[in-house]
Amino acid sequence: MVAVGDRLPERTVTLDQGWLIRYAGASGDFNPLHWDPAFAAGVSPTGGVIAHGMLNAGLVGNAVSEWAGGPERVRSLTTAFRAPCPVGATVTVGGEVLAVDLDTRTATLAVWAVLADGAKVVDRKRSRAVVALG
Amino acid sequence: MALNPARIGHRYPAYRYEVSREKVREYARATGASEAQVPGETGDAVALPTFAASFTIPRGFSWAADPELGAHPALVHGEQSYVFHRPVRVGDVLVCTPQIDDIRSLGRNEFLTAVVECVDEVTGEPVVTSKATIIFFSRPAEADATAGADPVTGAGPATAVADEEVSS
Repeated sequence: MVAVGDRLPERTVTLDQGWLIRYAGASGDFNPLHWDPAFAAGVSPTGGVIAHGMLNAGLVGNAVSEWAGGPERVRSLTTAFRAPCPVGATVTVGGEVLAVDLDTRTATLAVWAVLADGAKVVDRKRSRAVVALG
Repeated sequence: MALNPARIGHRYPAYRYEVSREKVREYARATGASEAQVPGETGDAVALPTFAASFTIPRGFSWAADPELGAHPALVHGEQSYVFHRPVRVGDVLVCTPQIDDIRSLGRNEFLTAVVECVDEVTGEPVVTSKATIIFFSRPAEADATAGADPVTGAGPATAVADEEVSS
């Protein structure tokens, strides 16, 4: 039985350049901001290579999907990108049930991805998932 | 440089996307899915939720090359949502139509909301709606810093330093 306050198991990963290259190939997003330090120096908010926002969204989405019992249960996913995620950063992904609707058999979760220093890469305040309950 | 509000509601040409098993598997692994979440080599398979990015970002960012919109490279991807009308499955053929939903100014920045509606080519049923919020910075210094960057490949969905104004 899912209840308000239930939490996703937290997961921590370090997004090195290999992760960003694999994500670029898998997604087709070859923006050099994510692999070319010389390019990133001119345009990046950190002055260096940063991870794709959707890579962090993917970590979040996969965690929600696993918790919900499969991707077919995920009805919606919103990720608000707030802080940049530098290459090599360690990210912790989590989520918490905010509401359970027994009429529609769905749960709404706040979801997030934060860096070790607390920077909100995926901001819990605005990031949500709605999943169907089993 | 201001975006052209007359482009609100504009639809770009639709494109077709076939959901292939190997791409779904590759994407799952690239986003750190557990092996149990990676679809097998045969049988029915549902894509993980953000797989939708592989056919909407940057593929659905048609606005980036729209000369009438006036998009410029000083931008960040502030927010992304996917609403699934049904799961995305291996073997689906999707017809995806990008559209500009909204353009707003907030302080010195502009917010573009761009939608991609993806429907099943065979049945016409809605499958997934993508909604991206793109924040354009209008400060000349920032625009200069990115001058010459390609609007698609040079300034695509970067992680944002979205300020609090996004939430209002």
